[in-house]
Amino acid sequence: MATTSMAKPVEGRQGHYAGAVSRLVAFAADVGASWGLFSLGAAALAFTIQLVTGSAFSLRSHQIASLVAAAIWEFIYFAYQWALSGKTIGMAVLGIRVVKTDGTPIGARQAILRTLAFPLSFLLLGLGFLGILTTRDRHAWHDRLAGTAVVYSWDARAARLRWLAKQDTGAPA
Amino acid sequence: MSPVPGSARMEHLAQAVAERVVSIVMDAIDIDALLERIDVDALVSRVDVDSVVSRVDVDKLIDRVDVEKIIERVDVEKIIERVDIDALMEKTELGSIIARSTTGVASEVLDVIRAQGVGLDDFFARWVNRLLRRRPDELPLGPPGLVAPVPAPAELNAGAA
Repeated sequence: MATTSMAKPVEGRQGHYAGAVSRLVAFAADVGASWGLFSLGAAALAFTIQLVTGSAFSLRSHQIASLVAAAIWEFIYFAYQWALSGKTIGMAVLGIRVVKTDGTPIGARQAILRTLAFPLSFLLLGLGFLGILTTRDRHAWHDRLAGTAVVYSWDARAARLRWLAKQDTGAPA
Repeated sequence: MSPVPGSARMEHLAQAVAERVVSIVMDAIDIDALLERIDVDALVSRVDVDSVVSRVDVDKLIDRVDVEKIIERVDVEKIIERVDIDALMEKTELGSIIARSTTGVASEVLDVIRAQGVGLDDFFARWVNRLLRRRPDELPLGPPGLVAPVPAPAELNAGAA
């Protein structure tokens, strides 16, 4: 399998359409981060209620409320971050971001649209995501609906400079 | 009184004649034509520049320059006001280099993860392009506002010609 190691970093990808693997890993990281934060919030809420009322409280006993809360939380997690900076925590880690199809930063409208359209790409066994691999501009269904694209924002050349600097100083890369 | 009788008058006369002759000659000379005939390169090549420079006392020259006065006349704040820092950061990689050079292990780990991600992206993209019989150089690299559009094959041929 052809992978890119730090011995030969990829150059000049800023603004290029991001590929499927980077996007998938970013999404997996976001699922982990959002569920981690949600669990933390739920635990804090249960603790506070227990402290105030004196009786034990668990979200597990309120399944519908938990589901609604989780859905609202996921919406806020993605829509807020996309509207704010065009990237979520997972996307920031992978060095990718969401932009409009013309390359300009997305606004709140696109962020909300994209978040609402996002579940549609999961329909029919995730068929909506296939476009990331097959279409010319790597658009998934939710990208098409919201008029957005995902691009690399990672500065690979800076990474290469750092790597070269370490080579010059003899420091372990 | 002059020792030779009439010599003063002769001098005056000679002076007047000389002035008149010089004036006529100067009027008759075409300065532009004369300058055109002068080989300036040859003239300059005969000048020993090293010798001229060696005769210049640079220290004395610098002593005469009032640097403080020059600096006082420069409005540094106005210059800084005119510098669009945000645009500078956007147009150059200065910001990202400064920001990332301050981080150590974390940025190195991120670099590795991202590089691996991009490598795998390319791997899958290559295979899909083979399956769909697409030429990678015909695909758009990114949104038009972020990257230059890929030239059409006709344009490429025209450029090569």
